[in-house]
Amino acid sequence: MDFELDDDQREILGAVERLLERHAGQPRATELAAKAEYDHALDEALAEAGFDEMVDLESRSGALEATLIVEAIARAAGVTSFAAHALVARAALGEAVDGPVALAAGDPSAPIRFGAHARTLLRVDEDDVRVVPLEGGDAEPVASNFGYPLGRVTEDALARGRALGAGSGATLRCWWRLAIAAEAVGTMRAALDCTVDYLKERRQFGRPIGSFQAVQHRLADCSVRVEGSRFLVYEAAHSRAPEEATACAAAFALESARLLFRETHQLSGAIGFTREHPLHAWSMRLHALGSELEGVRGHRRALARARWGVS
Amino acid sequence: MEFDWSEDDRKHRAEFRAFLGEFLPDDWEQLAEGGPGSDVQAAFSRRFCRELAARGWLTQHWPEEYGGKATPPWRHSIIGEECWANGEPRGPQYMNVNWIGPAIMRFGTDEQKAHHLPLISSGEVLWCQGFSEPEAGSDLVALRTSARRDGDTYVINGSKIWTSYVNHADYIILLVRTDPDSDKHRGISVLLVPMDTPGIEVREIPSVVGERYFHEVFFSDVRVPTSVRLGPEDEGWGVVSYALQYERVGAARYARAALTLDRLAEHARERGLLEDPLVVDRLAEARTLCEAARMLTYRVIDERAHDHPPSTHTQLARVANTRADYAVGELTVEILGADALEYGSFADANFRLAMTAGVAVGATEVQLNLIAARHLGLPRG
Repeated sequence: MDFELDDDQREILGAVERLLERHAGQPRATELAAKAEYDHALDEALAEAGFDEMVDLESRSGALEATLIVEAIARAAGVTSFAAHALVARAALGEAVDGPVALAAGDPSAPIRFGAHARTLLRVDEDDVRVVPLEGGDAEPVASNFGYPLGRVTEDALARGRALGAGSGATLRCWWRLAIAAEAVGTMRAALDCTVDYLKERRQFGRPIGSFQAVQHRLADCSVRVEGSRFLVYEAAHSRAPEEATACAAAFALESARLLFRETHQLSGAIGFTREHPLHAWSMRLHALGSELEGVRGHRRALARARWGVS
Repeated sequence: MEFDWSEDDRKHRAEFRAFLGEFLPDDWEQLAEGGPGSDVQAAFSRRFCRELAARGWLTQHWPEEYGGKATPPWRHSIIGEECWANGEPRGPQYMNVNWIGPAIMRFGTDEQKAHHLPLISSGEVLWCQGFSEPEAGSDLVALRTSARRDGDTYVINGSKIWTSYVNHADYIILLVRTDPDSDKHRGISVLLVPMDTPGIEVREIPSVVGERYFHEVFFSDVRVPTSVRLGPEDEGWGVVSYALQYERVGAARYARAALTLDRLAEHARERGLLEDPLVVDRLAEARTLCEAARMLTYRVIDERAHDHPPSTHTQLARVANTRADYAVGELTVEILGADALEYGSFADANFRLAMTAGVAVGATEVQLNLIAARHLGLPRG
């Protein structure tokens, strides 16, 4: 047991954070969101610096290191499918596929995160996965207020591709849950930091709002949820995404995400809803993440199945 | 980061489990459900801890000079986890080994160490904690029990409240005001007082938590030598702050809650309730709370393993444990329905322990204050 980053991990995290300072961040995310664009430049920068393949997912803590990168990108509000192409696809398929990558399950007509920009779609179908190459014209952009570019993939395109075979669906779901949870952790941390910073400055009734105990306790509760989510994610990543640990991490993190949305917005007041205030870049995404894989109830069902054999 | 147990740790847990399986009597569950204040559990705790001591497990995390083996904190946490999951057969002695002993090591005189530490490490002694007073609960600094100096003697007057285990305790670790002119942190001292000292009177406060759970302890002209003082006179607050950092995470509540939840899932299955997706959802939610509490508690142990000074990780873990305990306690009563209402039943016994989680060893609100100030850096009100 050791809860501290080792030297390699610290170095990787430091390097990706420095890159993100230059190539990502909330203002850029807000600007891209206004045009429903994907951040190809960020992907290029990450690939050029070698982050896509820096981490050997087969190595002892490779999955954990990739997860740390995913979390850092989410904190910086990166508009990239890095979690899907550099973690989920590589880990679940054992090979890299053309990015950007979109992940889908359930209703085939539902909008998909990064669906309009992806070159590969991984579609979970019961216990199988279809790997669908996408080209221009295979998807229509879908307008959204939830912080990610969405797209709806045509029926024709969905019929293409190759199936990976029985068992691949369960594996992919586990890595997908880990990725969602890691993105939620990074996003929650940033939303909470943003709110705490604001409440230290904003004065009402002659004092900073953040000095009121009614406000402090709610923020303190948020940090218990965020820190708990973080370490559940790290543990699940370290053990290479087993069903129970990933379902547990995702169920806890995405339930926490709902609380974080409510509290950060409530405590930030009206300014929190505006595009001039940074909070929306993270907060809206929390619900987008919470909609994938049937959200909290899907994660909890998976947890109960793994833990108690509930069918 | 590393989240796997080492081979040695795994072996240690397996050995300890095997020992528990062998040593805990067949009717242990019924004994445990009487609660830690019951006569039968207090008596068992003495036998159990002697046995742990004989096997070198009771205080293995202590330094070698005090009879320990200086094992990493993880080793002791495994025992804590297994004990809590099994109704804490150590009884009140978990306090001795987790924080009273370490506080004596840090602040005690040579005589105090020579007297108390071997008693604790051999499992021969029960302690209780005399902190809260009728007018000093969360605001502990408001305490008024006085120890007036009379030569080499302190004369103690006042009362303590909410004290657990006091009916069986050999010693009480007592907070008193030695400077009557101060009402602040300064002027408080810590005394290690034998419970058989004349002038101490104990009264049970009947409660819904369980038999002999809470007591009031009255001190009327209780005379003790000044040599029972732990740490410098009037500066006991520092001693207590040090001790509390260790106390607040001493209880592996998540471990008991998680085991209770697994058993609840079995009860629910037998009643066909796992067909109900709402029941499954609630069970899984409670499981996530237990797991989050486990990770945050491990983080505190990790901090200790790295020899970092205690931080607000402790408070984060305490709040998470409280949330987990409540969730499991409430769900157990809800799912088992009217059966939960019978005194001593599985659900009832669990609920009575769970319902104190947010109050025992410091109210959740105080933990949240500390997180807001020290972890989030929010300004004072």
